[in-house]
Amino acid sequence: MRDDDVLGALLAGDDPNEGRAATVERTSAIEALPPASREWGEIDARSDSPRWGMLVDTERCIGCWSCAVICRSENDVALGMWWNRILTGGDDLDTPSVDEHGQMSMDWLPLACQHCDDAPCEKVCPTAATYTNDEGVVLVDVDKCIGCRYCMAACPYGVRVFNWGEPEKATGVEEGMVHARPVGTVEKCSLCVHRLAEGQEPSCVVSCPAQARIFGDLNAADSHINRLIQDRGGDQLLETKGTEPKVRYLPPRRRRSL
Amino acid sequence: MTTIAPPTTPTSPAATGRRGPRWAWYAVLAIGLAIGLFSFGYQLTAGLEVTGLTNTVTWGLYIVLFMFLVGVSAGGLIVVAGSELVGSHRLDSLNLLAVIVSGTAVAAAAVSIIPDLGRPFMAWQMMVSPQVMSPLVWDMVVISVYLAIAGIDLWILTRPKPMAKWLRVMAMVTLPVAVLVHSITAWIFGFLVARPFWNTAILAPLFISSALVSGTAFVLVVAWIVRRVTSWRPPHHVFADLGKLLAWFVAVDFFLLVAELVTAFTSQTDYHLAPLEMLFTGRQAPLFWGQLVFGVLLPFLVYANPRLRSRTKLLVAAAVLSILGVFAKRVNILMPGMYEPQINLPPGQSGNATGQAFTLDLLYVPTWVEYGVVIGIGAFAATLITLGVRRWVLPQAGSDDAVVEEQEDREP
Ligand code: SF4
Ligand code: SF4
Ligand code: SF4
Repeated sequence: MRDDDVLGALLAGDDPNEGRAATVERTSAIEALPPASREWGEIDARSDSPRWGMLVDTERCIGCWSCAVICRSENDVALGMWWNRILTGGDDLDTPSVDEHGQMSMDWLPLACQHCDDAPCEKVCPTAATYTNDEGVVLVDVDKCIGCRYCMAACPYGVRVFNWGEPEKATGVEEGMVHARPVGTVEKCSLCVHRLAEGQEPSCVVSCPAQARIFGDLNAADSHINRLIQDRGGDQLLETKGTEPKVRYLPPRRRRSL
Repeated sequence: MTTIAPPTTPTSPAATGRRGPRWAWYAVLAIGLAIGLFSFGYQLTAGLEVTGLTNTVTWGLYIVLFMFLVGVSAGGLIVVAGSELVGSHRLDSLNLLAVIVSGTAVAAAAVSIIPDLGRPFMAWQMMVSPQVMSPLVWDMVVISVYLAIAGIDLWILTRPKPMAKWLRVMAMVTLPVAVLVHSITAWIFGFLVARPFWNTAILAPLFISSALVSGTAFVLVVAWIVRRVTSWRPPHHVFADLGKLLAWFVAVDFFLLVAELVTAFTSQTDYHLAPLEMLFTGRQAPLFWGQLVFGVLLPFLVYANPRLRSRTKLLVAAAVLSILGVFAKRVNILMPGMYEPQINLPPGQSGNATGQAFTLDLLYVPTWVEYGVVIGIGAFAATLITLGVRRWVLPQAGSDDAVVEEQEDREP
């Protein structure tokens, strides 16, 4: 079955994965992956010590903000704060960018913590509140954070947000799957570390309607994320800063022109 | 006692008559402290939301004040230790006052970091769980050492018997520590790859030169005020001497600034040019050009000209301009670095208040709370200086009922 037929199969009521599983089983490199048994949202092949990374396919991203919104409810992010934003190359979210030939295109840059291997935020934190866990995830321990905001000055990506006031919630109850952070502390994308612990992919990955986010183990050579990086390259944002982000970006292969 | 000015001996009716101004000055200090405490208390209950800071401009007036006060602290101590090391005794009469000013400034600097913290009551975490890679931790250590040195210097200087040898030993300890204090304060900013405007090797030398300017100018202004309102009479030449030193310090400070700006400007890379545009023609331009003309050029003309610098009032005015100029310079170092994030694409970053929309370029305007806290810290510093002068400087001036009245709060 060709990939194009997935939609046809879905419409006919068949399981589109049936045929696909048969195809991939012949490829030895992917044998370690049990595609058919992999449930939606479960984390990809693991090595013994995973090093989690994310790949954002900017060709697929349609700028819908689904990931940004679900991130807020998953992590109980207070009003006025965003762990994950969608930036655009145009003048505004609904305006295209125009290149020197007058060619217009819509393009987006979903931006959250890059989980830098050599994280500047971690190096400057005076209390070690910002730390990297065993699986490469950069986290903030709110019990230690004194709110000096040095990390915010040090992060080249501007992805950290501060609890300037008492965190305000739209509903007034705790909405997320994690505890809310107190006033006077810094927070940011946690790579949904609470979901990882349960073998689930981060919320933004699961919720992306364009499947533009690929999550996986950078230590496992045959993980989906590593194969895509090998095939199409995984750009690092602000590569020259030497931060070695574990969030990578796939450049568009064709322009989405207007 | 011998004085140059018409005698206002402590026992004369004039001195007793000046009790009024003294209490007025105490009242001013008390009001300043009250304003500071009230503003800080309000900020504690409401969070930093009540400041003008945002997720883009995460550091503002408090950090400017911190940089400035650290700078002021060094100047004084370097003047004492510096002249001690080169074997000059022309400024000896200022030693005690300079040490008091330095100690006060460094204490006020340490205090000024507290309102900047989101959770000041958690600050002890820095001691129980320090992260040794952080320049903030180094700064905490070196500032404590510096404060201790100021205390020891004070102790030595107030012994009835002169302890010249120990003063020399202290001078040898003080200078390297002073250099470290300023370098490390500069590195808090200079180490950040995220901020190319700060990420330059010249930042530490620049902080040292600015510290020399503001510290020396501050000692000069305080000495002049204390001389006017009390019976303390330093030899008249100290003012011109300080003015002469300032001519050198201002020149070096200006040279380092130009060296940095020219290098950045000629590199013509975007991330260098954006902050420079902000300084030359943009939002910071009035402060930048104003600082160069009124904070560098005019004072320099006074310092460099022996005739002008011998006119003490003119010299003091120039020193006040220098102090304001260095403060403006601190603002001009902090703000362009904060305003120009590396990734600055629409719709930008969220602000600081709930529901505040995304913005690309939010102007940072300090709120009354921030000004209130700054006034409080200024009053705190002025109180320490007043008490210090009354306790230590005036007894040495041979008067036990002298009047201290600092006419103005020299908080910028
Ligand atoms: S993106 Fe910023 S917050 Fe995230 S790890 Fe890197 S420096 Fe830290
Ligand atoms: S704000 Fe918190 S996490 Fe950030 S550097 Fe300061 S203590 Fe560390
Ligand atoms: S990984 Fe989780 S915390 Fe990070 S942006 Fe996605 S949903 Fe938000």
